[in-house]
Amino acid sequence: MGEEGQVIGCHSVDAWKEQLQKGNETKKLIVVDFTATWCGPCRAMAPILAEIARKIPTVTFLKVDVDELRSVAEEWEIEAMPTFLFFKEGKLVDKIVGADKDGLQLKIATHATAAA
Amino acid sequence: MAASGFEGFEKRLELHFFGDDPVSHDNMGLRLLDLESLQEVLNAVQCTIVSAVGNHYFDAYVLSESSLFVYPTKVIIKTCGTTQLLKSIRPLLQYAHDLGLTLCECRYTRGSFIFPKSQPFPHTSFKDEVIYIEENLPTNLCYRKATVMPSKLPTHSWHVFTASDQTHPQNMPDVLYTMEICMTELDRVLARKFYLRDPGDGKSGDIAGKEMTELTGIGDTNPGAILCEFAFDPCGYSMNGIDGDRYSTIHVTPEDGYSYASYECVGSIYDDKDDVVKVLKKVVQVFRPGTMTVSITCTSHDIWTRIALALEPLGLKCRSCVMDEFPTAGSIVFQLFTARRK
Repeated sequence: MGEEGQVIGCHSVDAWKEQLQKGNETKKLIVVDFTATWCGPCRAMAPILAEIARKIPTVTFLKVDVDELRSVAEEWEIEAMPTFLFFKEGKLVDKIVGADKDGLQLKIATHATAAA
Repeated sequence: MAASGFEGFEKRLELHFFGDDPVSHDNMGLRLLDLESLQEVLNAVQCTIVSAVGNHYFDAYVLSESSLFVYPTKVIIKTCGTTQLLKSIRPLLQYAHDLGLTLCECRYTRGSFIFPKSQPFPHTSFKDEVIYIEENLPTNLCYRKATVMPSKLPTHSWHVFTASDQTHPQNMPDVLYTMEICMTELDRVLARKFYLRDPGDGKSGDIAGKEMTELTGIGDTNPGAILCEFAFDPCGYSMNGIDGDRYSTIHVTPEDGYSYASYECVGSIYDDKDDVVKVLKKVVQVFRPGTMTVSITCTSHDIWTRIALALEPLGLKCRSCVMDEFPTAGSIVFQLFTARRK
């Protein structure tokens, strides 16, 4: 669909659950960027993530604002931003805390190519 | 001592602001500075962002030459090498002004350079630095003081400049204090852990940094904190820790001949009194320095006396202790410790 290659913003808990469900069905790797509008490092990371999303359409990229979806941020114990959570087939498989561009690309490569 | 090498000793600048409209932008103040503006400030200083993380209280950036912490109304920049830290003042004041913020306190501190002749203007002398800062400060900061706090060693003094506007009380309550530790003549074997195992293998500085944190046990100095670290090629290490509204930061220059490590953190007078002891013990365990200076912005006798109590059993003897007071900016206690083997 038109969403491939883009970072999809989740603006409601339902949208969030829907995306996780979709990932579970398609077995695609899901990378979630937990971000906040007032956090400098998040703003620094946003364009980098968008660029990565453009280049790797086989991975689903989601964005969750910790103020907008507070319950989701609390559920996943987000303490610092940006935090990137990696989901595969409904399970959390990895996590990065901080604007680590290289680490992000490395982990995406690792998990995306793992037994699909 | 080598004839020349990388200067580990940092220059540290702390700026406090107040806003006319504290409710604007959800109180996020300086955190709303966009990346381009921040990078412009850092370009003036000649350093770049290599890693970053933020929480509900502040943003922490690891720089190519040390660290940057951005709170809503406070900025702390610490840079080493031959960076021109003071050049950040003018652009920072301009951007703060655009956000409706006015400077109310400026604090500049540094130790003594190992290679003073390698420093560019205005870091050529403390006098030049003070003149430069004063030229860039607004006139409302009329309570100023510049002093060089001495120690038993002429090579280890503590330079302090403070300027404040007395009509605005300190943003930081007297409850919190800052501790700046500078270590030289690091244990050679321990310092080697801050060299990349496989330099040039393309492994990211963040990932290599995490490995170094594990290997050296540095994470134990602040177990509750979220860490953001970076390992430099072929050697060198920087780390920022964030824990609620407090930061901690470590920078290591491991090369023999001019080895240096710094540890800075924030404490509270309400903390368990043994916390500062634990931190100091752990820091010494990681670096085993030959010489160590500790500067603390705390007048509580209870706290600064614990420093010597913590270090003596580890073989670090207190050689000197001086205190000075700064108008509306508080007090500083500066102590020098040397390993008994001297």
